[in-house]
Amino acid sequence: MADENNQKKKQDNKNPKRTPNKKFSIKKRLPVRPVEGNNVIFVTKKTNFKAQLDKCCDLLTKGEKEIILHGLGAAIQRCCNLALQLEILFSGTCQIEVNTGTVDLIDDLEPLTDDVEFGAQVRHSSSIHIRIFRTAMLGANQ
Amino acid sequence: MEPTEFDAALGGTEHLPHTANSLKFAAARSIEIATMTESILRPSKTKLIFQCLPVHMRRRVMSHNCKRLPRRLRLGHLEQLKKSGSPPKQKRPSRKFRRRPTNLLNEYNRRQKNKVWLETHIWHAKRFHMVERWGHRLAYRPCDKAFRACYRASSAHCLLQDISYYTPIQIKGQIDSIKDIFSNITSNNCGLGICAKAFLRGNRRGTINLYMKDCYPFGFVGKVEFLWVCMNDSNLELWLFVHPSQVNQVELLLNDITKAGMSMITSSTETEIIATKKRKISTKYSEVQINIKPKLFNRFRLTGPKSHAVLVKSLKCVKDVEKVETNKWIEHSIQKNTNLFLKEKYDYWENVSLVNSPAQMPPGAIIGLVVKDPRLSRPSKRTKAEIKTTKQCNIELLLNNPPYTPRSPLWDETVCDIIKKNKVTNSEYIEHITQTQLVPGEVNEDDPFLQNLPIVLLQRPGSQDSCYKKVGYGSGWDIILPAEYGLPFWLTFIMFGARSGGLRETESVALEMGEIYMPPDSEAGVLEEMRLESELKEKYFKRPPSKRVNYIKLAVPSPFKCPWSVLLKDWSNNKQEKFYVLRDKVVLEELQVCIDRKKKIPHFDNCDACLIPVYIKVEGKGNLTSHAMICLPLPQDVCSKNTVMEPHHTDENLKLRRQKRQEHKKLLKQKRRRQIKLKTKQKLLNQVTKQKVKQNKHELSDYVKNMRELWLPSSIETVRHVPIRQVMGYISKAAFSFSEAKCCGIGYVAFNALNQLLEQKINQVLIRNTTSRKYTLANINIIKSP
Repeated sequence: MADENNQKKKQDNKNPKRTPNKKFSIKKRLPVRPVEGNNVIFVTKKTNFKAQLDKCCDLLTKGEKEIILHGLGAAIQRCCNLALQLEILFSGTCQIEVNTGTVDLIDDLEPLTDDVEFGAQVRHSSSIHIRIFRTAMLGANQ
Repeated sequence: MEPTEFDAALGGTEHLPHTANSLKFAAARSIEIATMTESILRPSKTKLIFQCLPVHMRRRVMSHNCKRLPRRLRLGHLEQLKKSGSPPKQKRPSRKFRRRPTNLLNEYNRRQKNKVWLETHIWHAKRFHMVERWGHRLAYRPCDKAFRACYRASSAHCLLQDISYYTPIQIKGQIDSIKDIFSNITSNNCGLGICAKAFLRGNRRGTINLYMKDCYPFGFVGKVEFLWVCMNDSNLELWLFVHPSQVNQVELLLNDITKAGMSMITSSTETEIIATKKRKISTKYSEVQINIKPKLFNRFRLTGPKSHAVLVKSLKCVKDVEKVETNKWIEHSIQKNTNLFLKEKYDYWENVSLVNSPAQMPPGAIIGLVVKDPRLSRPSKRTKAEIKTTKQCNIELLLNNPPYTPRSPLWDETVCDIIKKNKVTNSEYIEHITQTQLVPGEVNEDDPFLQNLPIVLLQRPGSQDSCYKKVGYGSGWDIILPAEYGLPFWLTFIMFGARSGGLRETESVALEMGEIYMPPDSEAGVLEEMRLESELKEKYFKRPPSKRVNYIKLAVPSPFKCPWSVLLKDWSNNKQEKFYVLRDKVVLEELQVCIDRKKKIPHFDNCDACLIPVYIKVEGKGNLTSHAMICLPLPQDVCSKNTVMEPHHTDENLKLRRQKRQEHKKLLKQKRRRQIKLKTKQKLLNQVTKQKVKQNKHELSDYVKNMRELWLPSSIETVRHVPIRQVMGYISKAAFSFSEAKCCGIGYVAFNALNQLLEQKINQVLIRNTTSRKYTLANINIIKSP
């Protein structure tokens, strides 16, 4: 998003979607989720970092072969941090595989005046998907 | 020997007359006859009826068991028993007798006489605590310990509630005239109007705040959900879904306005132009039809991300018209040339079923579907509904609903009637299945015996503001079903893992979402407050005096009710008869900004009588309960770490209470002595006194009333300066909020108090519970969508 912004900064001023509009208010929808499961963890800005780290440690020590972390937008940094911390904690027994991607997000334009219809716009956000998987046998860590 | 004969003819002494005067004869014996007839009519009441029976008809234990008596005497016997004082104790009929279908049905009908049962009532009554609210008998909470489980369901799974008590109101007429009607009872400041372009296409539902006619901002009636329904391509109908506590008010309001339009015709004797204008308006109003249709639909509310999966699993759309043409209601709608869009809708629903939370759908979307009988898709065991695909949903469909989706034949009343008539009861269904099914477990989905059903799904977006609540909390679907088909759908949803909740869950979800449940400026809210007050008072006074919290010592003038008008009077220095809750969206937004930036807030009209809805979150640890006080902090309270404590106040009523109690004890002693004396003297008098005591038992005696008044003075003159920190407002509902992991509450603050708070450049408040002396610091946020 940031790269696009820099390129299109001049155009953005003209783009009606960018400028605050008195006829609409922007409401965010829940992003589309990849497959959920016990070993899938979504990292957000609000969740406690320590709690999620503990959760990951628990999963790995209890025999989970791989865990998948997903981070979106501003949470990418936290997601990376989490993965790196895990790598340090399980040094040698775990490996990390990182994928990046783009997720389409939908924003609703809720009308504020009676003469406008509902609208929606697609926004793109970068995402990171980190797969942490065991390489060594269980118990090698202990 | 004395003459044995009497008559002279036979040698006796007496000469009989030749004729007898019957009149004279009767007159001479009149007294005798009178006494005889009287004794026949009114026999002396020394004996009871069964004692008067001839010996051969007497049976043992007749006095205990009235069934030993001949039937014609039973009624009189029971009456006699009643008169004698001891009420006749009739044996409860045996369970076997009571459970006979006819008797059971009679019993159910008797119990439904003065209140309404929902279709799922019996299912609920077996599993829920039921309460009587708003003329209905409703489920309050599940019998099992499920408070946290219900929260978990609403945030991670699926919470299912039966909200069929919402009453649909159909309004037919020209859009302009409907707009005219609603312009009197709504305000543009509260958000979008009822005829906003966004809703008129009929693919979004909306909510609107109703007020009494021309009373805004006072006279709030309630928040009403509405949707526009396209019947044909041109025809539009408005449907309102009104909470049962407001139905009567809304009905009166709408009828008043339409009638006022009618009466204008007669009173228009002014200039011609005005007269014609008025005539136009009045004719418009007379076209408008308002029909209130309770029990026409069933409505279930599914909350939580998995509610979509539950719906996807249990609703199987119909694909082709040819296969289902035998259904009577489909025949009817084909005759009427309504397009059912079966194929398109089938494809749409297939596509949308990949979505994993209802919060990803367009907010307030309306989807009409035609589905197969829900009993066909029911799993044999209770299973969790899950959608496991790696495919992604087509994003174009999520951006905006296609125009055909909201169409549904459900809104046609004749269709509903046909469905009701041709419904397949559970026993019929089972009989049919056992007869036709060759392989057990195999289900023929295109069975012409079962009806296909039109349903309508309404999306609720849940939280859309990530600063206030996590996005998507409280999102879900509302499903509207035709009458009589409530239970089959309900059971299917339950079998797919939905957890059922009651009224308590409605309250707690509203609190978790930071929404107002029953605002205090509406009639329904006032009634709710009164009910709660009497309930809590009753509970309080059931405790022995030594175990009661002494609210006078804690400086809590009204622990069970929030005295809004007294609060506003204290803060504005003049009497406030009426008050209102601020619902102007622009002003609320502005106030939130002012609180965030610790700015001064702008003034507006009627701000003396204005309450501002606030969401309170405790800063650190600390408990919050309902009716807690929101207090104005001093500047040093916010920075210092010392907690502020309310000092003990003296209870001046303590002495009075003791004195009264002693007096009362003395009086009781005297009474007892007097009674013993009377007993020995006169039995009759004693009876009279006994009866008097019995009558008074239900009503509180003056002594009890006085004592209660001394515990909790009912007339409150001032609340603001009673404790050491000034009271700004009250919390109407508070509890531990699982979504915030903190105690949160919803309350109201007087506008002038908030003004003073922000003048001190503070944006936090102190909170004190009713039973505590401790003040805790809390953050304050404006509720923007009351």
